[in-house]
Amino acid sequence: MRLTRRAFIQASCATAAMIAAGCATQATTPVTSAMAVRKAKPAGPAAGEWVATTCQGCTQWCAIEIFVEEGRAVRVRGNQLSKTNHGHCCPRGHLIPQQTYDPDRVKQPMKRTNPLKGRGVDPKWVPITWDEALDTVADKMLELRKADEAHKFCYIRGRYSSTSTELLYGTLPKIYGTTNYFSHSAICAEAEKMGPGLTQGFFGYRDYDLANMQCVVAWGTDPLASNRMVPNVIHFFGDLLAKGAVICVDPRLSNTAAKAQEWLPIKPGTDGALAGAIAHVLLTEGLWSREFVGDFKDGKNLFVAGKAVDEAAFAEKETYGLVKWWNIELKDRTPAWAEQETLIPAAQILRVTRMMAKAAPKVGIWMGPGVAMNPRGTYTAMVVHALNGLLGSIDVEGGVLQSSSVPLAAFPKSDAYVDEIAKGYSKHKKIDGRGAKDMPAMMNANPGSGVVTNNIANAMLKDPGAVKVLLASWNNFNFSCTGAGRWDKALAKLPFFAHMVTNASEMTQFADIVLPATYNSSEGMSVVSNMGNCYGYASIQQPAAKRLWDVKQEENEVMWLLAAKFKAKGFPNLFDYYSKEFKDPETGKTPTNEFEFMEIAAKITSATLWKPKEPLKGDAPLAGWADFRKKGIWAGAKYSYKKGWGGKFATETKKFEFYSETLKKGLAAHAKKYETTPDDILTVCGYVARGEVAFVPHYEPPKRHGSVDEYPFAFIDYKSRLNREGRSQNTPWYQEFKKVDPGDISWDDVLKMNPADGAKLGLKSGDSVRVTSTTGAIVTRLKLWEGVRQGTVAKCYGQGHWAYGRIAAADYAKALPRGGNNNDILVDDYDRLSGATARNGGFTGVRVQKA
Amino acid sequence: MARLGMVIDLQRCVGCGACAFACKAENNTRDRAGGQSHNWADFLMKSEGTFPATTHWVMPVLCNHCSNAPCVEACPVTPKAMFKTPEGITMHDDETCIGCRACQNACPYSNVELNTTSLDGETYSVISFNAFGESTQPRWADDTPMIAGCTATGAATAKAAGANPPMKNAFIAGDVDPVRKAGVVEKCTFCHHRTSKGLQPACVEACPAHARIFGDQDDPNAEIARVLKAQKSVVLKEDKGTRPNVRYVGKYSARG
Repeated sequence: MRLTRRAFIQASCATAAMIAAGCATQATTPVTSAMAVRKAKPAGPAAGEWVATTCQGCTQWCAIEIFVEEGRAVRVRGNQLSKTNHGHCCPRGHLIPQQTYDPDRVKQPMKRTNPLKGRGVDPKWVPITWDEALDTVADKMLELRKADEAHKFCYIRGRYSSTSTELLYGTLPKIYGTTNYFSHSAICAEAEKMGPGLTQGFFGYRDYDLANMQCVVAWGTDPLASNRMVPNVIHFFGDLLAKGAVICVDPRLSNTAAKAQEWLPIKPGTDGALAGAIAHVLLTEGLWSREFVGDFKDGKNLFVAGKAVDEAAFAEKETYGLVKWWNIELKDRTPAWAEQETLIPAAQILRVTRMMAKAAPKVGIWMGPGVAMNPRGTYTAMVVHALNGLLGSIDVEGGVLQSSSVPLAAFPKSDAYVDEIAKGYSKHKKIDGRGAKDMPAMMNANPGSGVVTNNIANAMLKDPGAVKVLLASWNNFNFSCTGAGRWDKALAKLPFFAHMVTNASEMTQFADIVLPATYNSSEGMSVVSNMGNCYGYASIQQPAAKRLWDVKQEENEVMWLLAAKFKAKGFPNLFDYYSKEFKDPETGKTPTNEFEFMEIAAKITSATLWKPKEPLKGDAPLAGWADFRKKGIWAGAKYSYKKGWGGKFATETKKFEFYSETLKKGLAAHAKKYETTPDDILTVCGYVARGEVAFVPHYEPPKRHGSVDEYPFAFIDYKSRLNREGRSQNTPWYQEFKKVDPGDISWDDVLKMNPADGAKLGLKSGDSVRVTSTTGAIVTRLKLWEGVRQGTVAKCYGQGHWAYGRIAAADYAKALPRGGNNNDILVDDYDRLSGATARNGGFTGVRVQKA
Repeated sequence: MARLGMVIDLQRCVGCGACAFACKAENNTRDRAGGQSHNWADFLMKSEGTFPATTHWVMPVLCNHCSNAPCVEACPVTPKAMFKTPEGITMHDDETCIGCRACQNACPYSNVELNTTSLDGETYSVISFNAFGESTQPRWADDTPMIAGCTATGAATAKAAGANPPMKNAFIAGDVDPVRKAGVVEKCTFCHHRTSKGLQPACVEACPAHARIFGDQDDPNAEIARVLKAQKSVVLKEDKGTRPNVRYVGKYSARG
């Protein structure tokens, strides 16, 4: 039977209908003919049980529950006891069964038989046993130790568990003997930490007291979609909107921007200018927090545009260097000046500043990676975060908080198992370049302490012998790192690489051995901790679902088995450590196999919660390990405000520093190491600040790769709200609902361009376009969209897989991507003060041509 | 007798998609094919205006469980395969459905065949059709691996899990089976298998924004009745006279 095709329901009709429709009087009975009414047959919900575990689809690590039917993971919800996610997961959590049962999962270890490595080169995988796989890895690693080259073994960590990572990241390099172990963190949002770090001594991700907040400013972040705490933000967002002061600073129309009262579509990379102008207005209009910042001694506001102020005239309370900041940076940062830089109208700057001030101190400037993850991002992070200082919202009710945590136990000490060989290698220099003259990477204000993840590829390319054996887990740097092509080249030359992953990812294509990982939210076991909504918590991760394949948890099971191989081959230290020191906190028993090891490790870390020596403040006491497994979560007491007030901030001055003595000290230490000046360091690192301005939060004009003539568009990169860190694209549900990212199209990947630019270039929606930067090119679909300004183009990160699976990639066998990967065009660059990878702030210019 | 309905608060809704995923998981709806979305819960969405005065709105959509349901009127089977329950659910009986798709054709909120405009939120269908003579869960029938001997397959995954689909939510079937057979239409049942047992619909339970309220509109103590009394509500395509029982309050964009 063929029916006529109906007219499509036009969205505009829907809108019209909404406007036209009032609250109609409703009939109390169905008007459909009585003949068509009958009782439904009895039905009922499925039988099963909710098993507590932890989502790791983003860095929030939400406590969740999986509904299990006959050993199968079926549905997902937030842990009903969680005060951080309020019993809900965000859309990401619902993708866990889709990923668990991905038909493209690697089901047993495999090895490559084609020695040639490259993008699009078939590795010619063959299946092997775990025994063979781990024999090979152990042999390769022990060969290096024998050859006095243990430092040429490198481990790189991707997604991990905050406790059991110590069994791999923490222990393997230490006992085996290499300094070359690296975390993925610097490609995430590390530069953000420099904002609170260099002002208030808190190098961490902030918490926000949304329940009591009156005004929220989402700045360079879309917290409805990413940047942690997504279910918490969604929970409070309707109430925040009702309070009438949701402000969003974002160059593209994000989810938050779509709903906000005020959208400031800033010119990419000029956030420091906007923040400076807001600070300028807060001071000239006398809107700063007297309680936190203090006041002029005679009560008269001397902050007048363009005029320097005598430092002695102002008496500060919890802060340090306000007048210095004004004199060095702020006095000329008028809204009119900022309008020129940011393209945000001065009137809007004034309006939103007054909104913030009206709500203060119950206001949160929520600074995100869009502010910080760019080549001069440290200073932008500082100036945006410093607004919280002026508004007095630091550590107060309704404001911006430091993190909360719960007490977890460390694993037993391993020092006795570190032999002389291993000790020797700990003195080698790490290959990621941290602490180099042009890479201070001064996390915690300590030069050379921050990881420079994306620089590892450069080190490998510069010295192909630097790494001979690479072990990596749950990462995909050939896809997720900017300048992704460098990783292709670096890994193609690597003599031996073992990858621990669930799917044959882009990075996996360069592996020699693949050790298939459990999907840890549904199949692994560990304990994970995090915080949000004023509570720190620990959440269990446990095997809710029956494992279908011969896969193993990389941090505990695989480490146990690898250690056993080492022992069999004459290097017993790691196995002896695991098997002798790890004792079940209940029975005192030591593990005899990988599964016991996994559980005992989880019990050791969490015993402080379910078997505390003294009563803990927070959730009701847990009855024991079984009770913890059942409940899945334990949260501590609510955050106590004003932690840093009264001279207790972890800065050099113990105050909130508008003039950062903390940064000054760190920079001086780094300069001294190279017998030079801070100005010279800033020069080689690509910052424009010289002299005193280097120590205050300030505006650095955006750095841009590619001239505006050759590459006329500033490229805006952001994250899909459905990304499970780049791993969910092989699920049909991700593709089907890709449209939930504003402007995007399901089953596709679109570059969004303002229609006026499209008209100039003769391009239209649906065109296939080539997007070219100084680093590379991708081909993707164009969508003309009013959600971006002229001169910018935006594309969501997530699509563009050329491997991973048959849905993620257009053609896995031919290495053809679905859409284009932003990281193929984003330039490899850094915010060198933090070591973080640049990906925002319009630092990559692109040109767009019809493909 | 109850008059079941749903209110969706667009100010609270953030367009995240959790409801649509929860629906797919609860009701085992298959992947899109043949112009059928099989999304019992879906979205209308659109960006409007000119930069920088651009707005973007999202409206979650589902079967409206109309009081005057054209799909029921159009069903040619006796007794009707598409019918109303006394509580007001527009229910579908898999057993008696002949797959004629008259319901889909009659529904103002469905399309017999969706085209690409359904991929960016312009169009949708609340009624989908499972083609005759084809697997209704083809992803789990496919037995070709991506890497021979090394990666799983859909069929192997279903077999190892002991269910098709492997994440099957095996609710107790009434009129509607947990996994539909070929040659029948399918649509939202207001999660009758849940709501008849005192649970909330999956989409309501999963909404992290508490934007969806389900209940008896005639019960003055029900949250839905209180909200409808307090706030102005609208329905989709009121001009069609279908008398939807899914109503919307609030507006998605504060600037809209």
